[in-house]
Amino acid sequence: MSFLHRLASLRLTAALMAFFCAGILLAYFGKLPFAPVISACLSVLALNLMVMMATNPRFRQQRSLFVFHLALLAIILLVALGRMIYLKGEAELVEGLEFDGQLVSMEAGPWHPWRLDQAKFINHGFSVAYAPGLKRLETRNKVSWIEAGGDRREAEIGDDKPLILEGYRFYTTWNKGFSLLFEWIPDGGEAGVGSVNLPSYPANALKQAQQWSLPGLKEPLWSMLQFEGDLIPADQEGHFRLPDNYRVVVRYGDQRWELVPGENQVINLPGGTLRYLELRSWMGYMLTWDATIPWLLAASTVAVLALAWHFWAQFSRRPWNQD
Amino acid sequence: MEALVELRVLWAAVVAYVLAGSIAIVGVLLKKRPEKIVLLLMTLGLVLHTLSIGMRWDRLGHGPFVSMFEILSSNVWSLMLVFTIAYWRLSVVRPMAAVVMPILFIMMGWLMTVSPGETRLPPTYHTVWLFIHIGFAKVFMGFTLVAVGLSGIILSRSTAFGSERFQRLPANERLSDLSFRCLAIGFVFESLMLIAGAIWAQDAWGRYWNWDPLETWSFITWLLVAISLHARLTFTVSPRRGAWMIIAVFIAAFLTFFGVPFITQSAHQGAV
Repeated sequence: MSFLHRLASLRLTAALMAFFCAGILLAYFGKLPFAPVISACLSVLALNLMVMMATNPRFRQQRSLFVFHLALLAIILLVALGRMIYLKGEAELVEGLEFDGQLVSMEAGPWHPWRLDQAKFINHGFSVAYAPGLKRLETRNKVSWIEAGGDRREAEIGDDKPLILEGYRFYTTWNKGFSLLFEWIPDGGEAGVGSVNLPSYPANALKQAQQWSLPGLKEPLWSMLQFEGDLIPADQEGHFRLPDNYRVVVRYGDQRWELVPGENQVINLPGGTLRYLELRSWMGYMLTWDATIPWLLAASTVAVLALAWHFWAQFSRRPWNQD
Repeated sequence: MEALVELRVLWAAVVAYVLAGSIAIVGVLLKKRPEKIVLLLMTLGLVLHTLSIGMRWDRLGHGPFVSMFEILSSNVWSLMLVFTIAYWRLSVVRPMAAVVMPILFIMMGWLMTVSPGETRLPPTYHTVWLFIHIGFAKVFMGFTLVAVGLSGIILSRSTAFGSERFQRLPANERLSDLSFRCLAIGFVFESLMLIAGAIWAQDAWGRYWNWDPLETWSFITWLLVAISLHARLTFTVSPRRGAWMIIAVFIAAFLTFFGVPFITQSAHQGAV
């Protein structure tokens, strides 16, 4: 038996599928990494399938079965391509500001065509409803963007309703909270506005503080948001909102300030003046990009239809109720 | 008060199912075929069960997709529905009820022990893909259950007791052919379930596949079905070996549907 015929063996297919199954189990229990196991198994299965399709004329004659396996092959190739071009990331955006392509974290395939800087939109604020027990319900986030023709568009997105720009899909997440807006006026320099995103609320209700730094300052600053009570009651329905009464604590070295909105909002620091502006919310977005998805769906649908066609043809030859 | 009525209707349905199953088992033991009364009781149980699920759906404003009580109840309903149709249409193999009903008794007993407390539908469940995904999953499980019933007969025939009780049924080869037909149809629906689930996951969580525990176990089950069908179509598989393959598939599917929700707190939590 030639090497090609051995490679096209149906027994080998069965053995490879069993190995694939065992590999996934081992990966699931943490004994092996997922990606290499899946890549190796799918590569060998694809090779086995390709050689079988090329060398087995009987296999090609069964048109429905042939189409099914061709579609399976397409799925494997598309999944591989998808890993080369995908992007998955997280971004945080303060209410009223425009997304500038900066991500908090991300992973991407080596061939990803970076177009994030063209996916500009503005976060116009959100609402999040809570059931008793701090169970997060629906998130609604208003966003706007400018289309290629120059028209301004608005939409309301959520955890399951993405904003799609340049093929990137932006979803809201559980990750959201409060943001402190400051203006930094360096001595003899130009003033600039920046925001300090505090840890996610209410997940980190007791840790509403953040360390950050200003250009030209030797030491980092530390800011904390203080307010009384729970904004979202744990034992009844509620919604995410900004606190009505609060103060902002700022520390720099041994110095400490308490800023109260409408009263004292300015701090003199070495090298400039820091002015507290206001409190806003920020939303954490998850974004994904994978151009293979529509093709994967098409290939999967063809695979299932071909399989159903094959079984239909097989089963219609003999009635079910015949002894 | 409404919740109590729903539960009473559910209990009445379970009583009808248990009576149907018990009569079917006694019928096999006594070599009788009380098929009309079994079919009637199963249909009565289904009507009552549908009413109970409908009342709860109307009261809570969402289908039985969230808690273990709801998942078990809806799965007992869908498995009974598929099995009742198979029982009605496949008259030659009706005694398989004696094999299938005890499996459903276990699920009904489990259903009686879990809390029927009120639930809320998570935000990502407000989509038509939930119904499509779950619908396909239920059809897959239903056909696999029928395949298990036929496999149970094949395996029990290797004993003198089973051989005597099921002697009037078609030969093992024919039963094996029917069981693999059911598995093949189940495979088509399981594939559709995975595709619908991937579409839902893409919309809900921005990824069509993430190897979360339920996805991983669903794929392992899919692979086991694929291996079984591949072996059946490619090699000479004896009815007994084929029956064991189908039972292995059913165990994997059962653990995926009802076991995985116990070991994961991920968003994709056994909502079948």
